[in-house]
Amino acid sequence: MDLTAPAEPRATDASRFAMSGTSPRLAWRPENVAELADAVRQAAAQKLAVVPWGGGVALSREHAPVRFDVALDVTALKRITVYDPDDYTITAECGLTMDELRTALAAHSHELPLEAAESWGATLGGVLAANASGPRRRALGSPRDRILGARFVLGDGTLARTGGRVVKNVAGHAVHRLLVGSRGTLGVLVEASLKLLPQPTGRVAWAWATDAASLADARRWSAWPRREPAVLTVIGRAIAAKHPVLASEAPFAVVAGFEEDPAWLAACDTFAHETLGAPRLTVRDASVPTLWQQLTDFEEMPGARLTFTSSHVTPDAIAFLAGRPIAERLVFHAACGRLHVWPEANEVTELSRELQARGFALTASRGTGTVPPEPLASIALLRKRLSEALDPASVWALGRVGI
Amino acid sequence: MALAASQLAELRALLGDFGVLSSEAALFTYEADALTMERRPPDVVVLPRSTDEVCALVRWAASQGLPVTPRGAGTGLAGGATTEQGGLSLSLNRMDQVLRVDDSRLFAWVQPGLVNLWLSQQLAGQRLYFAPDPASQQVSTIGGNVATNAGGPHCLKYGVTFNHVLGVVVVLADGSSVTLGGEALDSPGMDLLSVVCGSEGTCAIITEICVRLLPVPEGVKTLLFDFDSVEAACRTVSRVIASGIVPAAMEIMDRHTTKLVEEWLHIGLPTDAAAVLLIEVDGPAVTLEPQAERIAGIARDQGTRSTRIAKDADERMQLWKGRKSAFGAYGRAASGFTIMDGVVPRTRLAEALANVYAFASEKGLEAGNVFHAGDGNLHPHVLFDASSAQQHADALEVSHRILRMCIDYGGTISGEHGVGIEKRPMMSELFAPDDLATMERVRAAFDPDRRLNPGKILPGGSGCGEARQHSFEAMRGFAANANAEGPWI
Repeated sequence: MDLTAPAEPRATDASRFAMSGTSPRLAWRPENVAELADAVRQAAAQKLAVVPWGGGVALSREHAPVRFDVALDVTALKRITVYDPDDYTITAECGLTMDELRTALAAHSHELPLEAAESWGATLGGVLAANASGPRRRALGSPRDRILGARFVLGDGTLARTGGRVVKNVAGHAVHRLLVGSRGTLGVLVEASLKLLPQPTGRVAWAWATDAASLADARRWSAWPRREPAVLTVIGRAIAAKHPVLASEAPFAVVAGFEEDPAWLAACDTFAHETLGAPRLTVRDASVPTLWQQLTDFEEMPGARLTFTSSHVTPDAIAFLAGRPIAERLVFHAACGRLHVWPEANEVTELSRELQARGFALTASRGTGTVPPEPLASIALLRKRLSEALDPASVWALGRVGI
Repeated sequence: MALAASQLAELRALLGDFGVLSSEAALFTYEADALTMERRPPDVVVLPRSTDEVCALVRWAASQGLPVTPRGAGTGLAGGATTEQGGLSLSLNRMDQVLRVDDSRLFAWVQPGLVNLWLSQQLAGQRLYFAPDPASQQVSTIGGNVATNAGGPHCLKYGVTFNHVLGVVVVLADGSSVTLGGEALDSPGMDLLSVVCGSEGTCAIITEICVRLLPVPEGVKTLLFDFDSVEAACRTVSRVIASGIVPAAMEIMDRHTTKLVEEWLHIGLPTDAAAVLLIEVDGPAVTLEPQAERIAGIARDQGTRSTRIAKDADERMQLWKGRKSAFGAYGRAASGFTIMDGVVPRTRLAEALANVYAFASEKGLEAGNVFHAGDGNLHPHVLFDASSAQQHADALEVSHRILRMCIDYGGTISGEHGVGIEKRPMMSELFAPDDLATMERVRAAFDPDRRLNPGKILPGGSGCGEARQHSFEAMRGFAANANAEGPWI
């Protein structure tokens, strides 16, 4: 028996890893980082096309790549490797789910500064790879703002680390930040260090039912950006209808909130009432995170979806959509300029064109009638060079389509 | 190597006579940044005024086989702007304009040569500011801040420069220009901006920057505590962080530093205290007093001897001037000193500091400390007699030992100054060969011919699997200048 020969990667049921109905030929579930690196090396040697797989929350609903040979399940990597609560940093393996991380941190009154839909299944690696965020994006920063360093496996099986686990570090090229948002096209994150936050001492959220005219009235919103709300989100009627409390006959629900010192929240309360009127719902303190999670979960509503980013910071930016069918099916996190819409197939092209003209750039798409965002031609050569440098064997299946 | 007259003529045709400096005096001026012990004059200094001119210069340099090293104000402490391999020193100082401010969407486009503090000064009337505040902010440029991912006292709460950059226009090694990121918080596609920030000019030359602007906080409160031991000051920092308060800044100066600063500035610092701790909280006015009280309570628990609260803006500025003048004060006290920029986990600050003093003492040298305690970012100084080769060597050995300790404690060798030339040899102590080779792969994807700021950051040959180096020989230290106010830390 040749003890130096690499072991076969641990196989698991491939049917559990379908992307929009397309399953891979194989699925591997390495039990540790060394096994994972070895699996990638074997895939490279066999010229297999691999998709790193966390919780599959988002991936299962996305376009399958042209070739999808292997799902590389990272969910066995679940250790919290370093967590000294007084340092407000954590280093954890990327197969941990958001809920698992949040639970570990809550024991020390720490806030997980990441948001992800379906946090019961979304993994740290998946959230980082997607640069995912939710309604609190501006307040928390994005994953790339929160990551301090990472270990990752490149397409040739190289296990590398950049950055570190202290809160300030400029030693070397920040390849870990390049991997954040690269959607599994350059490497697979296996462990990451994050900068944490204390849980805020007070939280408040309000909801209003809003008509089209109120949404379009820029004066109502103009003072909000400088108040730096944690959340300022507009939800179309059909989406709000899925929520037990936000549902109403009004065309839009607006949810806003602050996470601050309680002494300041009283002033925020006055400000919210003065600018937007009496809310139909007020939620405070421990109940607020549940609402934030529900707002985040909206983005995984079924159906074709387009996601846009913009520099807009107030809800009136999407008021031009009022009265159209698509206004029923949108979520606009105005504080960070992110818009999700669920169009019918025949709405996609014209809507994309119109939003683009108004400063919304397509960042992600899924489902019937949609096409992936076009990589910017101006940086196509850089992207290609980076892919060739970090994935010389073209192992990563999603690197072969636009990201 | 001096350029030929024909080459200079070509450059003058691109930039005009005022855009090209080639006299011996000019080249001497640009031979180093604030790491003055590491010098090499450029072959020529060029001062473009636009992205197009930078593109033309990079193309011209490529045609001549010359390297290009971008330069801001030259305040860098790691040799990042030194033209180590000659070629063009590309100064961005003439590109110093605020191009556009959007005060409702809270961003601004600026040119890279704009001095950091000027932006906030220009925005004061709109009650907005640019948060990154390296101690050099009255001189250093925003382009340089982005290239080094500069920190500053207030990055404890607000984050480092990278967290405040939305987009950049860069010139690549082939002379083309591209926009990375934009005006939105997030941008489509691969996040190339995130790797260009902090790459010290080795990936691209930054020619325009879109920065986030923040509303000026409603209030600010600055507190000064003094302690009988550095450890007690460090414990106070750890306890404040652990209590869930996020101050805007937490800075410590030890007795050695306080004494030198006070002798110079006479601002009423307690020179008999082992350490003074400067804490600043900012935000909505109603939140400040309760936070200050909680912090003062923690400091009392740790045995603070006294509490001083700045009563007005002038006193606040005075306290900060004391903190920011520490480097200059060292320059007045010794003919040579080394300065480090190591980081340790915040909970290990006290033992790290104790080691710093012990390491220096073993060699009969004095060490001082002034540092961003809230971030665990140490700036130990080891003072030596520059005329003594033995003391110089001992100081370098102590410095190396301190950074080695930072690595052993799970920290890093640079929190905000960058690697440049100075810390390059230590990169192979901090990182494994595969880590460094991965960085080199990324760098080469941007600049296949290693034309942009060549040789910086990565130890030589790291991409070729060169054996790990254990050397601190390239760490140099600083020649003191008693009249200099900077460099800054």
